[in-house]
Amino acid sequence: MKLKRIFKMQRIFIVQELKKQMEYKADFLLGVGTFFVEQAVTVLFLVVIFGNIPAIDGWSFNEILFIYGFSLLPKSIDHLFFDKLWHVGQWMVRMGEFDIYLTRPINPLVHILIERFLVNGFGELIVGLSLILWTAPQIAIEWTIVKILLWLLVLPFCTIIFTAIKTATAALAFWVKTSGNVTFMFYMVHGFSKYPVTIYNRFIQTIVTYIIPFALTAFYPASYILRGGNAWFCIGMPMLVAVVLMTVAVFIWNQGVKVYESAGS
Amino acid sequence: MIHVEHLCKDFKKTIKNPGLKGSVQALFKPKYEIIKAVNDISFHVPKGEILGFIGPNGAGKSTAIKMLTGILTPTSGSCIINGCNPQKQRTTYVKEIGVVFGQRTQLWWDLPLVETYAVLKEIYEVSDSDFKSRMDFLNEILDLPEFIKSPVRTLSLGQRMRADIAASLLHRPKVVFLDEPTIGLDVVVKDNIRKAINKINREEGTTFILTTHDISDIELLCERIVMIDKGKKMFEGPLKTLKTTYGQTRSMTFEVDNPKSFATLKYCEQFNADPDDITTSFEGNVATVNFNSHKISVGDILNYTLSTVNISDINVKDSDIEEIVRRLYKGGVAIE
Repeated sequence: MKLKRIFKMQRIFIVQELKKQMEYKADFLLGVGTFFVEQAVTVLFLVVIFGNIPAIDGWSFNEILFIYGFSLLPKSIDHLFFDKLWHVGQWMVRMGEFDIYLTRPINPLVHILIERFLVNGFGELIVGLSLILWTAPQIAIEWTIVKILLWLLVLPFCTIIFTAIKTATAALAFWVKTSGNVTFMFYMVHGFSKYPVTIYNRFIQTIVTYIIPFALTAFYPASYILRGGNAWFCIGMPMLVAVVLMTVAVFIWNQGVKVYESAGS
Repeated sequence: MIHVEHLCKDFKKTIKNPGLKGSVQALFKPKYEIIKAVNDISFHVPKGEILGFIGPNGAGKSTAIKMLTGILTPTSGSCIINGCNPQKQRTTYVKEIGVVFGQRTQLWWDLPLVETYAVLKEIYEVSDSDFKSRMDFLNEILDLPEFIKSPVRTLSLGQRMRADIAASLLHRPKVVFLDEPTIGLDVVVKDNIRKAINKINREEGTTFILTTHDISDIELLCERIVMIDKGKKMFEGPLKTLKTTYGQTRSMTFEVDNPKSFATLKYCEQFNADPDDITTSFEGNVATVNFNSHKISVGDILNYTLSTVNISDINVKDSDIEEIVRRLYKGGVAIE
């Protein structure tokens, strides 16, 4: 399928999604309201915690907040666009609702990826950007054009790492019927990668770097921005891992579709 | 158009004992059994035919349809439809087919119906002019305008079904699969849907495969039927063949003045017939005689009855397809 057509369909789906979200006006407004409260609480909590700890393992309070903000960017972009994958693992396969995607002339995975647009995702994005903009001037960062370009380059790949992990774990539902909890479990690991991974022991470091590589979506690229260092690893590795992970995820997904059992009707 | 060869689908099912204990056991020591949901089914459908796919609940109809539409991958065997393998050439294949599952909907639940069609237009890449003429046509045959602006969640079952059928026809598919399109609908809506199917079939040569439990659907729509039970094909052929081969049972009812005179009617003895070939039932002052018309003629029954009791009314019914199907489902009719 042509990329142009995919984007066109995505635009159409997103418009529908926004119309749908506005169809239930009260729910929409309440959603926006709760979301701001939620984010305010998160930031307040961070300020309280880190306000009491000036530095951890050589990382200053501002640097830690910067990494935290950085980690929210790919997560929120994935959340904004590719949230529908959660439904696959939670109930779509179990209830047989995946049937519809298999009868449409769009690749089912592409269809699911482009179908939803969750306005809530803007929250994390705004908080992430605010944290970065707030802390960056207070840290002595050596800004170069190359750094900024590399950041922009790596960001989509960091997002793909999230999407790939969600795709692979959602696809498990084709075998076990529901896999929402598996995806959730992987997301819990993400909690570790919001902070500098050097504060953890080797075991956790290895896990968040190589096994469930969320550290590649935040700490490593962020540390490159903050302190420079090995660009090949900090920027190149997330890109490489994103491509590998996504390839594996698509393979698992395709195998899963073959064993999809639908549900009785 | 549709070539199905030795199609099979096995499901692996965990055997669970009842209760929490059984569930825990199944979690740690699962026992499996293989269920052959579809077992070696072959049939062919020429272009422009309406094929009825019938069988009792759990016979494997939906499983078969899901393999034909590319949703399920067959365990073995093949289906080639429109020259395509539904699983391997999915995106090309589904452009040419329409699918309606009576128990599900592909409509955008929260939005006005008209929005669904606008999105489907893009999904199936229907051109603007084509879309307009197609919508006019579908509006007319399925009476959509009365609810096309309402959100889908507010539609009645009959409206939703018409809307779903229209959605499946929007891109002018060559083959349409309808899984129980008339389930739970009232007579008027059923009639409307049947007319629409007939019209599209006649005017556009669209091939239809439909599963149903409504015998009228079959009588009014289908030239041919495939009947399956327990995953196996039981019968394939024109409705007429089913009627002449298995429909030898005819039914006559007599209304008599005096119900006590029934006692004098002894059909079995009179015709020296096998009890399977003639059965009688009495209710009030009406006697119903079901008999095998290949062995006993209508005239003989009539003569005997008229000469034995006083009749006030007579009714002779043609082979009742519903009765045949009922007996086939129960295994009451031997299949060659």
